[in-house]
Amino acid sequence: MAIERFLQPRASSWMSNDGENVDIAMSTRIRLARNLNNFKFPYAYTEDEALKVDKEISAVLLDKGKELKHSFTHISIQETPQLEREVLVEKHLISPYLAKGTHSGSVLISENEELSIMVNEEDHLRIQSLQSGFHLQDAYQRANELDSLLEKHLSYAFHEQYGYLTSCPTNTGTGMRASVMLHLPALTMSHQITRIIPAISRLGMVVRGIYGEGSEALGNVYQISNQVTLGKSEYEILQDLENMTDQIIQQERRAREAILSNSPVVLEDRIYRSLGTLTHARMLTTEEAATCLSDVRLGIDLKMIEGMDMSILNELMIFMQPAFLQRYSDKPLQPKERDYARAKLFRDRLNNDDVTNNRGEDFA
Amino acid sequence: MICDQCGERPASVIVKQNINGQLTERQLCHVCAAGNHNFNIVFEQDPLAINQLLTNWFPNQQTSPSPIKKEVAVCPSCGFTFNKFLKLGKFGCADCYEVFESQLDEIFKRLHNGNSEHTGKIPASYGSTLKIKKEIEELRKQMKFSIEQENFEEAARLRDQVKALNVQLEGGASDGN
Repeated sequence: MAIERFLQPRASSWMSNDGENVDIAMSTRIRLARNLNNFKFPYAYTEDEALKVDKEISAVLLDKGKELKHSFTHISIQETPQLEREVLVEKHLISPYLAKGTHSGSVLISENEELSIMVNEEDHLRIQSLQSGFHLQDAYQRANELDSLLEKHLSYAFHEQYGYLTSCPTNTGTGMRASVMLHLPALTMSHQITRIIPAISRLGMVVRGIYGEGSEALGNVYQISNQVTLGKSEYEILQDLENMTDQIIQQERRAREAILSNSPVVLEDRIYRSLGTLTHARMLTTEEAATCLSDVRLGIDLKMIEGMDMSILNELMIFMQPAFLQRYSDKPLQPKERDYARAKLFRDRLNNDDVTNNRGEDFA
Repeated sequence: MICDQCGERPASVIVKQNINGQLTERQLCHVCAAGNHNFNIVFEQDPLAINQLLTNWFPNQQTSPSPIKKEVAVCPSCGFTFNKFLKLGKFGCADCYEVFESQLDEIFKRLHNGNSEHTGKIPASYGSTLKIKKEIEELRKQMKFSIEQENFEEAARLRDQVKALNVQLEGGASDGN
């Protein structure tokens, strides 16, 4: 089955940990929202219209995508079992909203998983470009290229004053949401992040934890993105976001230096305890694993831990999630069984030889 | 009652969870309750609860007489009323933007830091004419300014530019069809 390749616990290229400032800026994402003329938007259309929109857009992509030297795999959401949909969500290839399968919808994914196009999400068309590291311009260029190709074959809903028309007024205009995923352990430990978040929101941008809701960001991973889509060009939006992200990265670096010089032993102890937990624990909740992952990642950045590949940590952040764990156990797992499977996953991936791994018996 | 999770703060929320048919009930404080969500990726989550914001800005839509006339408050293409738009926080179709236009300026300005006009990418098919129109608008603004400054020479030069663009626009439009 064509979908199979995207469900494998195998790194997507955006998890590869290549690129500028990649120790702090883990990945970059651009999303463009577009709708077709002549069809009602997803909150108002009938299933029949949804089906037509799905067919029209999917056909153009499969046929014309080749012009961009991409070949797209087409996955129909309603024909995909729930667990597999959740795996795609955990891999950031589709949104939870699309996974619900309210309407006939699809996702088309490029072979390197850097481009994905959701059909019949909140808008008819959502182009998403994902890239490892901090590369707003590159990621935008890729999304834009695809968008320019599609507009030759599809008639977009566009308004002279309001720009690209979207279901949600928060997307109207450029329809663009640009975001950078940031690992900010030092700003979190020093509580500086609570000052930064409100300051940024006044500048038309927003910072929030990407995993889980509420105030705490699981694993100290945050996402900064533009809030304003109207009245600024794509270029200006990207510039503003880039400047702001640069500043946050610099602040995180300063906070790391401060912690390192004020309490090096406390920090080192924390990092090695977390490494110990990940390599030896028999039960790991998502929360604990995420916290320890953050510490170990910091340990690698600060050169306290050597010989560990950062890209494995990026993958583990994705593969430790419930749907992945269940798919690879080939059965539904109770929360406790998941914690066991998660701990085993970490031991298997992080202990490459028996030096650190005193193997326990397998759970029957 | 103390929070089941942190054991520090007083419990203020009862969290009931149904995991594979097993119902659990825990008493949590507001801090732990907020953090006690399943591990979910919320990439596509709205940055703000848009419908909540909209209803707060237009609190009296349902009870008081609507500020927009009844006959224009329903979108003929998708059947959305202005109230439905506020409640959902979403447009039903492209025509909603025209039908609710009188109210949108304020909404967009609040959502987009005072902006209500697109200045970004234009699809190529709209491109040629729209670009000229925007240029004319800009030149007119400059012309008005020049007249206020009594710089009539500059104003005349700008007027000629507008004229030339208008000719281009008419020519371009007939070519385009």
